[in-house]
Amino acid sequence: MINETELIEQLKLGDDAAFKTIVEQWQNMVYNTILGIVQNEAEAEDLAQDVFIKVFEKIATFKGDSKFSTWLYRIATTTALDHLRSKKRKKRFGFLQSLGGGGDEKDIVPDFHHPGVSLDNKERAAVLFKAIDALPENQKTAYTLHKLEGLSYRDVSEVLNTTVSAVESLMSRANQNLRKELEDYYNKHYR
Amino acid sequence: MTSKEQIQKEIEQTLQSLDGAKRAEANPFLFTRIQARMNKKTSQWEERTFSFLSRPAIAFAIVVLVMVVNGWALWGSSGANEGLTADNTNVSELANEYNVVASVNNYDYENMTNE
Repeated sequence: MINETELIEQLKLGDDAAFKTIVEQWQNMVYNTILGIVQNEAEAEDLAQDVFIKVFEKIATFKGDSKFSTWLYRIATTTALDHLRSKKRKKRFGFLQSLGGGGDEKDIVPDFHHPGVSLDNKERAAVLFKAIDALPENQKTAYTLHKLEGLSYRDVSEVLNTTVSAVESLMSRANQNLRKELEDYYNKHYR
Repeated sequence: MTSKEQIQKEIEQTLQSLDGAKRAEANPFLFTRIQARMNKKTSQWEERTFSFLSRPAIAFAIVVLVMVVNGWALWGSSGANEGLTADNTNVSELANEYNVVASVNNYDYENMTNE
């Protein structure tokens, strides 16, 4: 079996077979990361395609200073966050256009169900994802990489290009914010 | 258990709801879709280039440019021929000076003898 370094070298030469192997090897990792951030399966699939097209186009800039997976996680998280920002801008513009139309009820209902969550936890996870969606970008990224992708704090720090203690701090603040969001949610919805 | 304690319990359980979650799997045809998008991207680029070049103003500018380049090339080559004539004169003068004759021009084909 061909190793990672050889695959990358072959991809740099524009080899289609190497590209196919790279996509097949890392597609679930990229898709799962993006899905955790954008919380929409159709959008996550489109963005995963974008990520691999960027990989094909920018592979020459990969010098091997970091792990290939770290580089891939960076592209995936940046692409997902860029998408959320542009979506938010469009939403704001749409809101300005429909001023006076009343509040958006859909925003309150947890509607994203991650396919990897067990049936027992499905409803709770949907509530948690709604709370994660309200986190600031860097907390959301750190939380998703750690909780959904199972990365250690060290690996998360490499993806975010920061220190382990900064990731610890991000995770601590993310947990505090999530508790607050969940408390508000259960105070409104607890029977 | 008070409702506040119940809510705290709910929060704890909800925070743990992602523990043990499996990785979501991408569409098995992801690579095929990526390839289709990349091919589409290339053909779109070709289309854009063609539509840019076929704009009347751009097409006219290209024709003018080709004519200018041709004119310049012609002018340049006539200048080069003048130089060539001068070179030939110099060569003849040099040949006369050293008494070197261009052999082909001095053959007497009629009076050639077979020895």
